[in-house]
Amino acid sequence: MTGIVALKSAYAVTWIAQLLYIWYLVGRYRRVRKELKDLERSR
Amino acid sequence: MKPLGIVFVVFTLALLAFSTYQALFVAPTEQTMGEVQRIFYYHVPSAWVAGVCFFVNFLASIAYLWRRNLKADALAAASAEVGVVFCTIVLMTGPIWARPVWGIWWTWDARLTTTLVLWLIYVSYLVLRRFAAGSQTQVLAAALGIFGFVDVPIVYMTIRWFRTQHPQPVMGGGESSGLAPEMLHAFLWNLLAFTCVGIVLMAVRYRLQLLENQVEAAHAQRALLGVNQ
Repeated sequence: MTGIVALKSAYAVTWIAQLLYIWYLVGRYRRVRKELKDLERSR
Repeated sequence: MKPLGIVFVVFTLALLAFSTYQALFVAPTEQTMGEVQRIFYYHVPSAWVAGVCFFVNFLASIAYLWRRNLKADALAAASAEVGVVFCTIVLMTGPIWARPVWGIWWTWDARLTTTLVLWLIYVSYLVLRRFAAGSQTQVLAAALGIFGFVDVPIVYMTIRWFRTQHPQPVMGGGESSGLAPEMLHAFLWNLLAFTCVGIVLMAVRYRLQLLENQVEAAHAQRALLGVNQ
Protein backbone atom coordinates (compact mmCIF):
# COMPACT_ATOMS: atom_id res chain seq x y z
CA MET A 1 0.00 0.00 0.00
CA THR A 2 1.52 3.34 -1.03
CA GLY A 3 1.40 6.40 1.20
CA ILE A 4 -1.17 8.31 -0.81
CA VAL A 5 -3.52 5.28 -1.01
CA ALA A 6 -3.17 4.81 2.75
CA LEU A 7 -3.91 8.50 3.34
CA LYS A 8 -7.04 8.42 1.18
CA SER A 9 -8.19 5.13 2.77
CA ALA A 10 -7.75 6.49 6.30
CA TYR A 11 -9.68 9.67 5.48
CA ALA A 12 -12.44 7.62 3.84
CA VAL A 13 -12.65 5.31 6.86
CA THR A 14 -12.87 8.29 9.23
CA TRP A 15 -15.72 9.96 7.35
CA ILE A 16 -17.62 6.80 6.45
CA ALA A 17 -17.57 5.68 10.10
CA GLN A 18 -18.96 9.04 11.25
CA LEU A 19 -21.56 9.23 8.49
CA LEU A 20 -22.73 5.66 9.20
CA TYR A 21 -23.10 6.55 12.86
CA ILE A 22 -25.12 9.68 12.02
CA TRP A 23 -27.31 7.60 9.68
CA TYR A 24 -27.82 5.05 12.49
CA LEU A 25 -28.76 7.84 14.94
CA VAL A 26 -31.25 9.40 12.51
CA GLY A 27 -32.91 6.00 11.91
CA ARG A 28 -33.13 5.31 15.63
CA TYR A 29 -34.46 8.82 16.28
CA ARG A 30 -37.22 8.37 13.68
CA ARG A 31 -38.26 5.02 15.20
CA VAL A 32 -38.48 6.50 18.70
CA ARG A 33 -40.46 9.56 17.51
CA LYS A 34 -42.91 7.27 15.70
CA GLU A 35 -43.29 5.08 18.78
CA LEU A 36 -43.93 8.15 20.95
CA LYS A 37 -46.60 9.40 18.54
CA ASP A 38 -48.26 5.96 18.47
CA LEU A 39 -48.30 5.90 22.25
CA GLU A 40 -49.86 9.37 22.43
CA ARG A 41 -52.48 8.43 19.84
CA SER A 42 -53.49 5.25 21.66
CA ARG A 43 -54.12 7.11 24.96
CA MET B 1 -33.24 21.47 17.59
CA LYS B 2 -32.74 24.76 19.44
CA PRO B 3 -31.25 27.75 17.54
CA LEU B 4 -28.05 27.58 19.59
CA GLY B 5 -27.70 23.92 18.60
CA ILE B 6 -28.13 24.75 14.91
CA VAL B 7 -25.51 27.51 15.18
CA PHE B 8 -23.10 25.07 16.84
CA VAL B 9 -23.65 22.41 14.14
CA VAL B 10 -23.02 24.99 11.37
CA PHE B 11 -19.91 26.21 13.23
CA THR B 12 -18.68 22.59 13.53
CA LEU B 13 -19.19 21.90 9.81
CA ALA B 14 -17.33 25.09 8.85
CA LEU B 15 -14.55 24.19 11.27
CA LEU B 16 -14.33 20.68 9.82
CA ALA B 17 -13.98 22.04 6.28
CA PHE B 18 -11.29 24.49 7.40
CA SER B 19 -9.35 21.93 9.45
CA THR B 20 -9.44 19.38 6.60
CA TYR B 21 -8.04 22.05 4.28
CA GLN B 22 -5.32 22.78 6.84
CA ALA B 23 -4.42 19.10 7.18
CA LEU B 24 -4.38 18.26 3.47
CA PHE B 25 -3.07 21.44 1.85
CA VAL B 26 -1.49 23.80 4.38
CA ALA B 27 0.50 21.51 6.69
CA PRO B 28 3.93 20.68 5.21
CA THR B 29 4.72 17.15 4.06
CA GLU B 30 6.69 15.26 6.68
CA GLN B 31 10.20 14.40 5.43
CA THR B 32 10.52 10.76 6.57
CA MET B 33 7.02 9.36 6.04
CA GLY B 34 5.75 11.66 3.28
CA GLU B 35 2.04 12.17 2.55
CA VAL B 36 0.86 9.27 4.73
CA GLN B 37 1.85 11.24 7.86
CA ARG B 38 -1.23 13.43 7.27
CA ILE B 39 -3.30 10.59 8.79
CA PHE B 40 -1.94 12.01 12.06
CA TYR B 41 -4.40 14.95 11.77
CA TYR B 42 -7.35 12.56 11.98
CA HIS B 43 -5.90 9.67 13.95
CA VAL B 44 -4.77 11.62 17.03
CA PRO B 45 -7.87 13.90 17.32
CA SER B 46 -10.06 10.77 17.07
CA ALA B 47 -8.12 9.22 19.95
CA TRP B 48 -8.49 12.47 21.91
CA VAL B 49 -12.28 12.56 21.39
CA ALA B 50 -12.58 8.89 22.39
CA GLY B 51 -10.65 9.65 25.59
CA VAL B 52 -12.84 12.68 26.35
CA CYS B 53 -16.01 10.63 25.76
CA PHE B 54 -14.81 7.88 28.10
CA PHE B 55 -13.97 10.51 30.71
CA VAL B 56 -17.50 11.94 30.41
CA ASN B 57 -18.81 8.38 30.78
CA PHE B 58 -16.67 7.96 33.91
CA LEU B 59 -18.02 11.16 35.50
CA ALA B 60 -21.62 10.43 34.49
CA SER B 61 -21.33 6.88 35.87
CA ILE B 62 -20.14 8.24 39.24
CA ALA B 63 -22.99 10.79 39.19
CA TYR B 64 -25.52 8.04 38.45
CA LEU B 65 -24.28 5.77 41.25
CA TRP B 66 -24.26 8.69 43.65
CA ARG B 67 -27.63 10.27 42.85
CA ARG B 68 -29.43 7.62 40.73
CA ASN B 69 -30.03 10.43 38.27
CA LEU B 70 -31.46 9.14 34.95
CA LYS B 71 -30.02 12.09 33.03
CA ALA B 72 -26.54 11.12 34.21
CA ASP B 73 -27.21 7.57 33.04
CA ALA B 74 -28.38 8.88 29.64
CA LEU B 75 -25.19 10.94 29.35
CA ALA B 76 -23.11 7.87 30.26
CA ALA B 77 -24.81 5.81 27.54
CA ALA B 78 -24.37 8.58 24.96
CA SER B 79 -20.71 9.22 25.72
CA ALA B 80 -19.77 5.53 25.70
CA GLU B 81 -21.36 5.01 22.28
CA VAL B 82 -19.71 8.06 20.70
CA GLY B 83 -16.42 7.06 22.35
CA VAL B 84 -16.63 3.61 20.76
CA VAL B 85 -17.21 5.21 17.32
CA PHE B 86 -14.05 7.33 17.65
CA CYS B 87 -12.04 4.48 19.19
CA THR B 88 -13.06 2.33 16.18
CA ILE B 89 -11.75 5.07 13.86
CA VAL B 90 -8.45 5.05 15.79
CA LEU B 91 -8.16 1.27 15.50
CA MET B 92 -8.88 1.38 11.76
CA THR B 93 -6.76 4.38 10.75
CA GLY B 94 -3.78 3.19 12.85
CA PRO B 95 -3.17 -0.04 10.87
CA ILE B 96 -3.74 1.82 7.57
CA TRP B 97 -0.97 4.21 8.64
CA ALA B 98 1.21 1.38 9.98
CA ARG B 99 1.21 -0.73 6.80
CA PRO B 100 3.26 1.62 4.57
CA VAL B 101 5.41 2.93 7.45
CA TRP B 102 6.15 -0.19 9.53
CA GLY B 103 5.47 -2.80 6.84
CA ILE B 104 2.86 -4.50 9.04
CA TRP B 105 -0.81 -3.88 9.80
CA TRP B 106 -0.68 -4.75 13.47
CA THR B 107 1.68 -5.71 16.26
CA TRP B 108 0.90 -6.64 19.84
CA ASP B 109 2.79 -3.77 21.42
CA ALA B 110 1.63 -2.05 24.60
CA ARG B 111 -0.09 0.98 22.97
CA LEU B 112 -1.99 -0.99 20.34
CA THR B 113 -3.00 -3.80 22.69
CA THR B 114 -4.26 -1.52 25.48
CA THR B 115 -6.23 0.50 22.90
CA LEU B 116 -7.86 -2.69 21.63
CA VAL B 117 -8.64 -3.68 25.24
CA LEU B 118 -10.17 -0.22 25.79
CA TRP B 119 -12.40 -0.68 22.73
CA LEU B 120 -13.45 -4.15 23.97
CA ILE B 121 -14.29 -2.78 27.43
CA TYR B 122 -16.64 -0.12 26.03
CA VAL B 123 -18.14 -2.46 23.42
CA SER B 124 -18.95 -4.83 26.30
CA TYR B 125 -20.42 -1.82 28.16
CA LEU B 126 -22.77 -1.17 25.20
CA VAL B 127 -23.62 -4.88 24.88
CA LEU B 128 -24.43 -4.96 28.61
CA ARG B 129 -26.75 -1.97 28.30
CA ARG B 130 -28.42 -3.41 25.21
CA PHE B 131 -29.03 -6.99 26.32
CA ALA B 132 -29.05 -7.15 30.14
CA ALA B 133 -32.52 -7.22 31.62
CA GLY B 134 -33.61 -6.06 35.05
CA SER B 135 -33.42 -3.04 37.27
CA GLN B 136 -29.70 -3.40 38.01
CA THR B 137 -28.52 -2.96 34.41
CA GLN B 138 -27.76 0.75 34.82
CA VAL B 139 -25.89 0.14 38.08
CA LEU B 140 -23.78 -2.62 36.50
CA ALA B 141 -23.10 -0.42 33.46
CA ALA B 142 -22.02 2.47 35.73
CA ALA B 143 -19.65 0.18 37.64
CA LEU B 144 -18.16 -1.07 34.36
CA GLY B 145 -17.84 2.53 33.14
CA ILE B 146 -15.91 3.53 36.27
CA PHE B 147 -13.52 0.56 36.30
CA GLY B 148 -13.21 0.49 32.52
CA PHE B 149 -11.93 4.06 32.54
CA VAL B 150 -8.79 2.86 34.36
CA ASP B 151 -7.52 1.72 30.93
CA VAL B 152 -7.61 5.29 29.48
CA PRO B 153 -4.60 6.67 31.44
CA ILE B 154 -2.84 3.33 30.87
CA VAL B 155 -3.28 3.74 27.08
CA TYR B 156 -1.96 7.31 27.36
CA MET B 157 1.09 6.30 29.40
CA THR B 158 2.10 3.13 27.50
CA ILE B 159 4.40 4.98 25.09
CA ARG B 160 6.08 6.63 28.07
CA TRP B 161 6.38 3.47 30.16
CA PHE B 162 7.40 0.99 27.46
CA ARG B 163 9.52 0.96 24.31
CA THR B 164 6.87 0.36 21.70
CA GLN B 165 6.58 -0.01 17.94
CA HIS B 166 4.15 2.93 18.20
CA PRO B 167 6.01 6.28 18.00
CA GLN B 168 7.03 8.01 21.21
CA PRO B 169 4.98 11.09 22.27
CA VAL B 170 4.94 13.82 19.60
CA MET B 171 4.03 16.43 22.19
CA GLY B 172 4.81 16.52 25.90
CA GLY B 173 7.43 13.84 25.49
CA GLY B 174 10.51 15.80 26.49
CA GLU B 175 13.00 17.96 24.63
CA SER B 176 13.22 15.76 21.53
CA SER B 177 9.44 15.87 20.93
CA GLY B 178 7.46 18.62 19.22
CA LEU B 179 5.83 19.65 15.95
CA ALA B 180 6.77 22.25 13.34
CA PRO B 181 4.58 25.37 13.85
CA GLU B 182 2.56 24.80 10.61
CA MET B 183 1.96 21.19 11.59
CA LEU B 184 0.97 22.23 15.11
CA HIS B 185 -1.58 24.75 13.76
CA ALA B 186 -3.17 22.14 11.46
CA PHE B 187 -3.21 19.64 14.30
CA LEU B 188 -4.85 22.06 16.78
CA TRP B 189 -7.53 23.05 14.23
CA ASN B 190 -8.35 19.37 13.68
CA LEU B 191 -8.33 18.72 17.41
CA LEU B 192 -10.87 21.52 17.90
CA ALA B 193 -13.03 20.38 14.95
CA PHE B 194 -13.11 16.76 16.10
CA THR B 195 -13.91 17.83 19.66
CA CYS B 196 -16.88 19.83 18.32
CA VAL B 197 -18.04 16.80 16.27
CA GLY B 198 -17.80 14.68 19.42
CA ILE B 199 -19.87 17.22 21.38
CA VAL B 200 -22.56 17.36 18.64
CA LEU B 201 -22.80 13.57 18.42
CA MET B 202 -22.93 13.20 22.20
CA ALA B 203 -25.67 15.86 22.46
CA VAL B 204 -27.78 14.17 19.77
CA ARG B 205 -27.27 10.72 21.30
CA TYR B 206 -28.11 12.08 24.78
CA ARG B 207 -31.37 13.57 23.51
CA LEU B 208 -32.19 10.26 21.84
CA GLN B 209 -31.54 8.37 25.08
CA LEU B 210 -33.92 10.70 26.96
CA LEU B 211 -36.63 10.05 24.33
CA GLU B 212 -36.07 6.29 24.61
CA ASN B 213 -36.38 6.55 28.39
CA GLN B 214 -39.66 8.42 27.85
CA VAL B 215 -40.98 5.63 25.59
CA GLU B 216 -39.89 2.97 28.08
CA ALA B 217 -41.63 4.82 30.93
CA ALA B 218 -44.82 5.12 28.85
CA HIS B 219 -44.76 1.37 28.11
CA ALA B 220 -44.21 0.60 31.80
CA GLN B 221 -47.12 2.87 32.75
CA ARG B 222 -49.42 1.18 30.23
CA ALA B 223 -48.40 -2.26 31.46
CA LEU B 224 -49.13 -1.19 35.04
CA LEU B 225 -52.55 0.20 34.10
CA GLY B 226 -53.30 -3.01 32.18
CA VAL B 227 -52.50 -5.07 35.28
CA ASN B 228 -54.68 -2.88 37.53
CA GLN B 229 -57.74 -2.97 35.26
